[in-house]
This record gives sequence, C-alpha cells and structure tokens, in this order.
Amino acid sequence: MAKKIKNKEELKKLAKDFWYGKPHGERRLGELYIDKTGLYKHREWRGVSDTLYYFYNVWLYNYGMMVYDLIRYGGLVNFAKGVWRYRWVGQTYLTVMHWFDRGMEGMRGEVLRAAPWHYRGMVSETIRQFQHMFAADANLHGGKHNDAWHHTMAHNETVWGGIFYPWRDKFENVAMEMIPYFVTCHVNSHTVQNYIDAVQSIGLPGDPCPMCQAEAGLFVLDDMPDYSPFVITSNEACDASVSTSILQDWFLDKPLFAMPQPMQFDDPLVHKHCMKEIEECWKFIEEQTGVPFNWELLKKHLEQQNELQEFEHEKWEVAAKTNSYPINGVAQALYRIYYSQDGDHEIWHHCDKKVRKVLERCVRNKTNTFPNTRHRVIAWSCAPLFFSNWPTWAYNCWGLNVIINMDSLMFDMTIRTDSYEHALEDMATYHMWAPMRRMAVGGMHHIFELWENMEKFNCDFVMMYDQLQCKGMQGVHGLFEDEFRDRNIHAIWMPHALPDSRTVTRAEIRRIVNDYMTTVMHEEPLDPSLLDFDDSMGW
Amino acid sequence: MKKCKCKLGKLLLKLVGGLLVANVALFLVFFFDLDGKLLFYVGEPFLKKHYDNMDRKDTLKAPYDVDKYPSYEY
Repeated sequence: MAKKIKNKEELKKLAKDFWYGKPHGERRLGELYIDKTGLYKHREWRGVSDTLYYFYNVWLYNYGMMVYDLIRYGGLVNFAKGVWRYRWVGQTYLTVMHWFDRGMEGMRGEVLRAAPWHYRGMVSETIRQFQHMFAADANLHGGKHNDAWHHTMAHNETVWGGIFYPWRDKFENVAMEMIPYFVTCHVNSHTVQNYIDAVQSIGLPGDPCPMCQAEAGLFVLDDMPDYSPFVITSNEACDASVSTSILQDWFLDKPLFAMPQPMQFDDPLVHKHCMKEIEECWKFIEEQTGVPFNWELLKKHLEQQNELQEFEHEKWEVAAKTNSYPINGVAQALYRIYYSQDGDHEIWHHCDKKVRKVLERCVRNKTNTFPNTRHRVIAWSCAPLFFSNWPTWAYNCWGLNVIINMDSLMFDMTIRTDSYEHALEDMATYHMWAPMRRMAVGGMHHIFELWENMEKFNCDFVMMYDQLQCKGMQGVHGLFEDEFRDRNIHAIWMPHALPDSRTVTRAEIRRIVNDYMTTVMHEEPLDPSLLDFDDSMGW
Repeated sequence: MKKCKCKLGKLLLKLVGGLLVANVALFLVFFFDLDGKLLFYVGEPFLKKHYDNMDRKDTLKAPYDVDKYPSYEY
C-alpha cells in the first residue's frame, strides 16, 4: 500500500515536473552536457509552456529569421561565397543557436520571453554587417570595385557608428573588426585563436592585449574583406591598438584617417581637441566621398539613438529598484555594448519594442523574474568574451544574479541636438567614453564609479574582471583590493585574457567562483551538477 | 460538388498531417540538439580543414609605403 502511495506521489511529481519543469534545485543542468563538447545530450525540458516557447519562438523563429535576414541583406549566394572565403564567418556563425542556448540555460517565464530578443537584435545586425561586407568585397568579386564598395565606409570597431550618421542615406559604415573579431569570440571561442596565433607567428610579442593581437591577425591571415575605398582608425582601447592600426595601414594600403581618443579626457582642452578631430574626420569623409556633411541626417539619427538610451534608462530603473527585470546578465551586457557602439539601426528599436511589452507586464504583475537570487551582482571592468554567458551559469549554480555591468553604463548620455555645437560637444564626449576607456583606463574617478553604481543598482556583490593582459587595469588592482576591504564588499576577481580561452579556461573561472562561494561565503550550490564539468572543446 | 469537397478535405488533411510530421521532426532535432551535433562533428571540422588548406596571400610581402597618401590634416 505504502509503495503504491509512493508510486502515486512519484507519478504526481513526474507529471508536475513535465508540466511546469523541475524546480531550480532539482534541475541538474550539468548532466545535460556531453563531456568536453558543451553539446547537449538533449536540450533542457523547461515545462510544456516554456519548452514550446523556446522551441517555436526562439529556436525555430531565429533560424527562420536568420534565413530571412540573409536573403534580404544580400542573398544566399553572397553568404555562401563569404562562408567559403572567410574563416570567421563559416567557423563561427553557423553555430549561433548554441550561443542562444548557453545564454538562456535555466531561464524561465518572462526572462525567456524578453532576453532572447536582445540576441535576435545582435544576430540580425551581425548578418546585416557581414552581408554588406561580402556584397562590397572586391575579394569575392574578382578584384572588381563595385557600387557597394564605393558606398561603404570602413572603420575600427571602436570608432562609434554615430560618427557616420551624416552620410546614412547614401553610405553604409561597417566596422572592420566587430563581426570578424568581437562577436565571434562570444559565439565560437575557437575561431579567434587562429588570428592571435597568426600575429605572434610573425614575431610580434604575445603579451599585449589579445584583442589588438586578434584584430591585427585578421590582416596577417588575409581574412579581411576589401569592402571600402578608405578607412578611419582609432587608438582604442590602448597603445596596443595603435600598433594594430599601423599594421592595418600597411595591409589595407588605403587612405586612412586616424582619430585617436584621448586617455585623460576630463580636461576641457582635450575635449575641444576631440571635437576638432571629429570635424576633421567629417572633412576627410567629404573629401573621399564627394558627398557633403548632412546636419539633418545627423540630427535625425542622434535623436533616434537617444530613444534607445531613454528606454535603457527605463530598464535600469526597473533593474535597480525591483525584482522584476526580465533581462539576464549576459543579454544585458552584450546587447547594450553592441548597439551603443554600433549606433542607431532599425532592428534595435524593433527589439526594444518587444522587450518593453514584457518589461511593463513584469512590473505590472510584480513578477519576481529571478526568484532564486541570493546576491545582486555588479560586474566591473572588461569581461571574458569567451565566457560571456558566465552570469547564466552563476545564477543557475549559485544564485548570483548579475544586475548590471560596466560596459552597459559607459555610454550613459543623451546627446543634445538643439544645435550643431551642442551635438558636437556631446558627440566628442561619447566618442571619448569609448569601450574600455571611460571606466577601465579612463582615470581613477571613472574607474571608481563602481561604488556609486553598486549603490544605485542595489548590489551587494562585485564580480571584478581581471584582464591579465590589460596593463591599464593591472595597474589599479591593488587599489581595488584596498577599497573592497575598506568598504567591506564581497568581490571575486575573475582572471581572463579577453578573447583567448586558453590562458584562463572557463573551467578555471568556474573553480575560482566556486572556491569563493564555498570558502568565503559558506554557501551551498543551487545546482551542484554545474560546479565542475568539462566543456574545454565547447564553442 | 461533393467530389470536389472530398478532394479539398483530403488535401487539407494531408497538409495538416504534413505540418504535424514536420513539427515533430523539427522538435526532435531541437530537443536532441541534432543541429548542434551536426555542426560540431561534421560542419565545423569540414570547414576548418578547408580554411587550414586555403591558399592565402602573404600579406607581409606587401610594401609599406608610408608616404603614399597625404596626412589628411585640415
């Protein structure tokens, strides 16, 4: 009789788990992996509603939309030619749905309905950019410089897309490294290693920032499309990037305008200098294209970009003051840095509209979107690109919920458009607050903005990224240690080499977090199966 | 008229049946991560082999003529 009752209870539990999905502590997500590969024996069962939502509205929808984007932005033949010619697209972007999986593991309910929209936006914009590169690429068109080639402007990924708004009606601007380098590291961490090794193989030292190495390596391996008649470079993030620009100047052999961002940018004189440089850059573009600067176009796109910023403020308000924020740490970080650097495009507005609906519903219903949160985390400095989904892992394993990160907060400004002078003044500030500049190597005042943001976002925990090859941030390591001690703040140092997953592996990062959570915090994992697993060959 | 209706009904049935089978097949691909496995074990190794064996221009042989273009000072 007792066995029968037990069986009945087990059946009931089984039915409940099937319908609603297992509760957080019972999921054992780590057991879903095939050893070493990061592949799943089977994808997660999240209950009927969430599994079907993920199947139809995320997996199937995004595969379909990718094909749609490929067709509308240049066609499948264009894409196939690009895949065959360039490693960074073929080896990386075919695996993109696994990138979604890694970011969305364990997510349920409203988070599953909002966060994948951020991924959708990034995928669509990535396709738009590489398809445009291929359409204009002389390498894919028998060396011919076609109309698209003549109507495209190439620039470093750290030159903000907003600089090119005045020519948006006639010209496309495509960053040289954003798609061949930056996004690849998140989607398939293996691809970039070819480019890092290539630059070291010609005798350059291995200790500068691996981002700069990889960006130069693309050229060493002749893996950069020839898609524009001229190029605009910057010195971002640091002096290593200047070396990259020199190599790019050599290998591109095109008219080049260098627009470096100043390191110590709070000085008003430096600000004026930067404004002048932007104007010089515009003169260079006018000279190269023969098309004059268009203030109305600039104003229009700046205003549209301000709308994106306005919604970001609304999102931050919810993230800071409630438990109803439906965006997980990885989606927040990647989407924000992507669109704020890339600039205004229709897809961001489309995705924000979708996310707004979910966000408002969460606030209205007071939904607790991350119910197993033990600590509200702020992530500071530059993140490991090969493990950008660590916040998903950390929430599933330890209940560490990443609320906000440094990269999200860098470009926190509305650009004035009431006059040319005001717009230029604000654009110069935006340009100088470049990625990894304002709060990473931009001086103590900005680096220590951590404390006020920690308070603003109600965080009780810091994940302090430790980019081992960033000389700037290595220099302030001790100062942070002192501050953490003085302020009695729990902080974990997460060492990494930005894109290079070989220096500090994902498993080592997890071990460091695990050690802190057990030995310092004396906490038990929510999902012990995630503590230690081998994904060394995983994308 | 009746024959026509019957034909239409059969066609609809086939369509619904076809959609159902496609749905189940796609769900199996999704659930067992068959797309990931195909790319990991077949797609990526094949493409990697292709990229590793590609003829590439030796970019280092290109001359670096620093004075080829003006310095663009305005």
